[in-house]
Amino acid sequence: MASLSSAVRDATFVVVPAYNEGPALESVIHEVRAAFPNVVVVDDGSNDDTGAISRRCATYTLRHMINRGQGAAIQTGLEFALLRGAEYVVTFDADGQHRVEDIPRLLCPILNDECEITIGSRFLGEVTDLPASRRLVLRAAVLFTRVVNGVKLTDAHNGLRAFSRQAAQKIRIRQDRMAHASEIIDLIKNTGLPFREVPVRIRYTEYSLKKGQSAKGAFRIVFHYLVGRMVD
Amino acid sequence: MGSLTLFQIIVLAILGILFLGIVVAGLRGWSTRRESFLWGFVCFVAAIATLRPKWTTEIANQLAIDRGADLVTYIAVIMMMIGFWMTYMRLRHLRRELTSLVRHIAILEAHDASGQKSIPKESDAERA
Repeated sequence: MASLSSAVRDATFVVVPAYNEGPALESVIHEVRAAFPNVVVVDDGSNDDTGAISRRCATYTLRHMINRGQGAAIQTGLEFALLRGAEYVVTFDADGQHRVEDIPRLLCPILNDECEITIGSRFLGEVTDLPASRRLVLRAAVLFTRVVNGVKLTDAHNGLRAFSRQAAQKIRIRQDRMAHASEIIDLIKNTGLPFREVPVRIRYTEYSLKKGQSAKGAFRIVFHYLVGRMVD
Repeated sequence: MGSLTLFQIIVLAILGILFLGIVVAGLRGWSTRRESFLWGFVCFVAAIATLRPKWTTEIANQLAIDRGADLVTYIAVIMMMIGFWMTYMRLRHLRRELTSLVRHIAILEAHDASGQKSIPKESDAERA
């Protein structure tokens, strides 16, 4: 793992949106907290023990009284992190698919003033255990982003991202549900914030695959995203 | 005007009740004046089309449509689509407001690891 100073670690807030993630959340929080002291879990109206686990293990716990979607939870976490004085904000999935070792890699280009936002890309790194159907959906998302957003990415729907404080202040996610990933790309493009893709490795487990998007879900995301683009 | 058929009587009765509802909603402030006017106008046109079906045929013929019933169907479909879209947009707006409210409460009631409320400091809020 690339080394980061303790000042940078203290100034980094890791936002973990969580909805019914009881089975995986505790180990995810422990893993992240071992490296970064500020872990913000946004319990998105879960009806399992996600909230209790978070209150016991996370640095900060925020609870959406009712489920509002991952995009809404990330925006809540971003706003809270900024209010707590975060200089860097990382978004990290609660299902255990992301690796803490990848966070310093995401932060380094920002720390070196090379860009304001970094986005993890599983296709720039080593891809293991990725089912063919999931690969197809992700490749379709990349193509969609290229055609509709006009942004050339290798991985359009990776939840592992890092923002500088300035970038986080400019990002306002309005897509409450899963279409936020495409919306963030739009926001990056529209704000002109410099960004970079960074190779990361995704851990595909039975649990994370079950939690991931199906082809049907992908169509719903496309619909919400296109409507949002038309009317917002 | 000849005597009304049973179907015309039923449709006119339904339109009358709807019109009454629109008027009451408008007077009590449940709907805006514009909405009341729009829906009242729709009821009025529907009543005319029910009472004078030949008029719709004449208008349809002017528009190169054979039957008045077809014209009414087209207009109904378009109006339904507009209605769905307006409802969808209003729903989106409400959802957004709901999210803002939920977010505001979540931030105000944030807890830290010790179980204490972790309301961000004012100085931090100014920075954000």
